[in-house]
Amino acid sequence: MQFSSKCRETADACRFCWMCRHICPIGNVTGQERNTARARALSLSVVMRGAAELDKDIADNVYECALCGACTEDCATGWDPVIFARESRREIVLAGRTPAYIMPMLERFGESGSIYGAEEENDAFAAAAARHAAKTDILLYIGEDARHGAKKNAVKAIELLEKAGVDFTVLCDEPVSGRTLYFLCGDVKEARDAMEAAANTYGEYKKVVFYDAGDAKTAMQEAKELGIDCAAALVSFPAYIAELIDTKALKVNKGDKKYTFQDPAALTRGIEDTVSPRKVLSACGELCDMLLIGKATVLAGQKIMAEYMPETVKGMAAKRWVDCKNMGGSVMVTADSAEYLALEATKPDGCELLTIEEAVLQCL
Amino acid sequence: MTDFLFTQILSELEDAVGRENCSTREIDKLTHGVDYFWLSRMWADRGLRMPEADVVVSPKNAKETSAVLKIANYYKIPVTTWGGGGGTQGGAIPVNGGIVLDTKRMNEIYDFNEKGMFIECGTGTIYKHLEWVANERGYATMHYPSSLTCSTVGGFLAHRGIGVSSTKYGKIDDMVLGMEVVLPDGTIIETSPAPKHAAGPDLNQIFIGSEGTLGIMTKAQMRIYDIPEERRFRGFLFHNMTDAFDASRELLQKFKPSVMRLYDPAETASLIKKIVGVERDGAFMNIAIEGDAEMVALEEKILLKTFAKYGAEDLGSEYGEKWWKEKITFFYPGNMMDLPQMFGTMDTIAPFDKIEKIYWAMKEAIETNFPQAKFIAHFSHWYEWGAMVYDRFIIDGKDVPQDPHEAMRLHNAVWNCGVRTAIANGGVVNDHHGVGIKLGRLMKEQYGPAMKVFEGLKRELDPNGIMNPFKLGL
Ligand SMILES: Cc1cc2nc3c(=O)[nH]c(=O)nc-3n(C[C@H](O)[C@H](O)[C@H](O)COP(=O)(O)OP(=O)(O)OC[C@H]3O[C@@H](n4cnc5c(N)ncnc54)[C@H](O)[C@@H]3O)c2cc1C
Ligand code: SF4
Ligand code: SF4
Repeated sequence: MQFSSKCRETADACRFCWMCRHICPIGNVTGQERNTARARALSLSVVMRGAAELDKDIADNVYECALCGACTEDCATGWDPVIFARESRREIVLAGRTPAYIMPMLERFGESGSIYGAEEENDAFAAAAARHAAKTDILLYIGEDARHGAKKNAVKAIELLEKAGVDFTVLCDEPVSGRTLYFLCGDVKEARDAMEAAANTYGEYKKVVFYDAGDAKTAMQEAKELGIDCAAALVSFPAYIAELIDTKALKVNKGDKKYTFQDPAALTRGIEDTVSPRKVLSACGELCDMLLIGKATVLAGQKIMAEYMPETVKGMAAKRWVDCKNMGGSVMVTADSAEYLALEATKPDGCELLTIEEAVLQCL
Repeated sequence: MTDFLFTQILSELEDAVGRENCSTREIDKLTHGVDYFWLSRMWADRGLRMPEADVVVSPKNAKETSAVLKIANYYKIPVTTWGGGGGTQGGAIPVNGGIVLDTKRMNEIYDFNEKGMFIECGTGTIYKHLEWVANERGYATMHYPSSLTCSTVGGFLAHRGIGVSSTKYGKIDDMVLGMEVVLPDGTIIETSPAPKHAAGPDLNQIFIGSEGTLGIMTKAQMRIYDIPEERRFRGFLFHNMTDAFDASRELLQKFKPSVMRLYDPAETASLIKKIVGVERDGAFMNIAIEGDAEMVALEEKILLKTFAKYGAEDLGSEYGEKWWKEKITFFYPGNMMDLPQMFGTMDTIAPFDKIEKIYWAMKEAIETNFPQAKFIAHFSHWYEWGAMVYDRFIIDGKDVPQDPHEAMRLHNAVWNCGVRTAIANGGVVNDHHGVGIKLGRLMKEQYGPAMKVFEGLKRELDPNGIMNPFKLGL
C-alpha cells in the first residue's frame, strides 16, 4: 500500500487525539469507538507501521466514514481525517480488497453509469424534464441522488424555476458528476474521468445550477482540487433561488411558518455557503435554528451509505429530528436529496418536511 | 481457552447484548487497546500491539450490563470498562484480555428534571452531548474539562474528574446526585435518592473514583446550573508563586471564582506565551467570576483589592477571555506534547501549607534525577483550604530510548520519583486523572494499612477479581 506523506502525517496527528469524537454523525449513532477519526487514524497508522494488515475489518471501518468533514471543521489545529479515509479507500480498491457490499455499486456503475443502477421511473419528472430538453444557457443539473429516489422533489425544483421565468435545460442523459465514485474509490482514474466528462458537459452552458449540494461540491471544489475545471459559472440551487428572490424574479410572500434548516455539509463546509438557504427561508417565514448549524452542521442522511449502512443513516436523520424538536421546531427544510430521503423515512408525527423549493412554492 | 469454549461464551454474550453489539473484529480490538496513556501510545507508535480484548461488548443499559457480568463471573473472564478511552492512566486498557465493555451505547437521556436541577443519563453519554442537552434548555453542566468532547459521564465519575470551573461548581463528585451501578456479580443497585445524607457512608463515593474495579456505573443524575448572567475574566501577573498562593487563599475566604489558574514561570514563558500571548516574566494567573451581574461586579472589586495587596499586576480582561476561548486548543495535536516526546501529568493535591513545597520538591526531584526532563506546572483547582498542582514532565524525543522496553523503564522511573516525592511531602498519588495501571503500585505506598479498606471492598464485591484487573492497585 502506498500512502502519501500527507496521509501518513495526518493519521499520525489524529491517532491519539479524541477531541472531535463528539461531532461524528456516524459515531454518535453507532456509539462505536471505531467510528471516530482517532480510531480510524490509529488503525491505519498501525497498518503503516506494519503491525497490522489492512484487513477486512479495518477496510470496513474506512467505509464507515461519511467523509463529511465535521471532524475537520471542529479541529482546532486544522487536521483533516478525510484525507486518510479517502486515500485508504483508493488503496483498498487498487489492492483488490474492495468490501463485498461496495462491489455491487461499482458493478452497477460499470453497467448503467450510476452506482445506483437504472434511474427511478417517474412520469411527472419525465414530463417536466421534457419541457426543458432544448439547449439553453442554463443547465439545471439534477444529479445522481435526486434521479434515484427523489425525482418528485426535482419536479418541484423545475416548477419553481419555471415560475421565475427562467429559461433552462434539464438533460435526459445527464452525466454523473463523479461524486459517488470519488466517495467510494477516492482519487482513481475512473472518478477523474467521470468528473472530466461532467466538466465537459458543464462547459457547454453559461451557468450550471446544481440541485444537490454534493454535486456542487464535487464540481466546485473536489474536481478543481484535482485540476479539473470548466468555464461555466457553477452555482448551488439555494444560491440561485436566493438570487432569483433578490432580483424579484421570484416574489415571495412572507408567511408565519417557522423553518428549521438542515444545512447540507457539502454546501456549508464544501462550498462555504451558509447564507443563501437562510436568506431564502427568511423571505418565506421565520427561522428556528437547531444545534449545530452552518459549517458545524452534522449529516441527516447519506444516500451511498444508505446502501450498506441503512440503519445508521436512519439514525442520523432521527437525531436531527430530535435536534429540531428540542429547539421548538417542527418544519424541517432540506436542500439535499439524500438528507430528504432519510428525514422522510424518520419523520416524527406532527412534523413537516419540506425541500427548499417546496418552502418557496408555498409562499408564492 | 479452546475455540469451542470461546465460541460458547461468545454466543452467550451475543445473546446478552445482541450480535451486532458484540465484536471480535480486529478493528474493535485494536482501537480498544490504546487509550490516552503515554505508554499505550508509545507502544503503538513503535509498531507493537497492545494487549487486546478477546471480545468487545456494547450493552445498552444496566440489564444488559448485568447479563454480561453474570457471564463473565461464571467463566471468570476479566471485564474492563471502556468509556471514551480518554483516560491518561491506562485504566481502560484490557491488560489481561477478556471482555472490554464499551459504555457508549448507554447514552440515553432518561430525565431532564428542571425542578430537581439534574439530567438523568446513561453513563456512556459523552459529556459534551450532555452539555448540549442542557444548553438547549438554557442550562449548563458547568463541567468543562479539556476532554469534554472526548470522555463520558461514567469515565469522569470513575476517575473523579474535574473541569476548569471547579472552584465554584465543584468536582464531578459534587455534581452527581444518584447513580445506578451494576455490581460485579450482576446485581443492579441504586445508590441513594439524594446525596449529602446521613444514611450511612455515601454509596456514590464508593464507586466514584473506583475505575471500574468495583462495578459499572450505568446511569447517573448529573446536576445542571443556570447559565450565568455574566462571566468576567481578569488576568494577573504575580512576582512569584508564594504571593499568588497567599493572595488566592485570602480571596477564597471571601468568595469563590469559577476559574482560578496559576501558571508557574516556566509555563507562563512557554504555553501562556504561545497560546494567550503574555510575554512577561513572572507567574500568570487567570481568574473568572460569574453569576448574577451585581454579584460579579462586587466580587471583581474584592478580587482587585485582594490581589493588589500581594503586588499582582492587573493585566485586564483580554488575556483571560483569550484563555477561555482557547482553553481546549491547548490539547490539540500541534499544540500539545506528542510522541516522540515522553511526558506525563503528575497532578496532586494538598492543603495550602504544603502545596507550594510539593511543587518545589517535585521540580527538584525530577530535574536532578532526570536532567533530560523539563518540569512545568500550573495550579488549576482551588479550595478554601488548598489547591492542586498540575505538573508535567517533558523529555525530548532525542532523549527517549527507542527500545520500547527501555522507554517504559524510564517512564516508570520518572513517575515513581515524582509521585513518591509528592507523597513524601504531603500530597496524594493523584488529583483527578486517577490511578489505572500507571500508578497502581504506588497506592499501597500512600495508603499503607488503609489500603485494606479498598481491598476488603474488592474481595467482597468482586471475589473472582474479574473487574478491571491490575488497576487501582487492586
Ligand atoms: C485531551 C484530554 C484532556 C483531558 N483533560 C482532563 C481534564 O481537564 N479533567 C479531567 O478530569 N480529566 C481530563 N482528561 C482525562 C480524561 O478525560 C478523564 O480521565 C476521564 O475521566 C476519562 O473518561 P473516559 O470516558 O474517557 O474513560 P476511559 O478512559 O474509557 O476509562 C477511564 C476509567 O474509567 C473506567 N470507567 C469508564 N466508564 C465507567 C463506568 N461507567 N463505570 C465504571 N468504570 C468506568 C474505566 O474502566 C477506566 O478505568 C483529559 C484527557 C484528554 C484526552
Ligand atoms: S481531526 Fe483534529 S480533533 Fe479530530 S482527531 Fe484529528 S487532530 Fe484530533
Ligand atoms: S469525516 Fe465525518 S464521518 Fe468521517 S470521521 Fe469525520 S465526522 Fe466522522
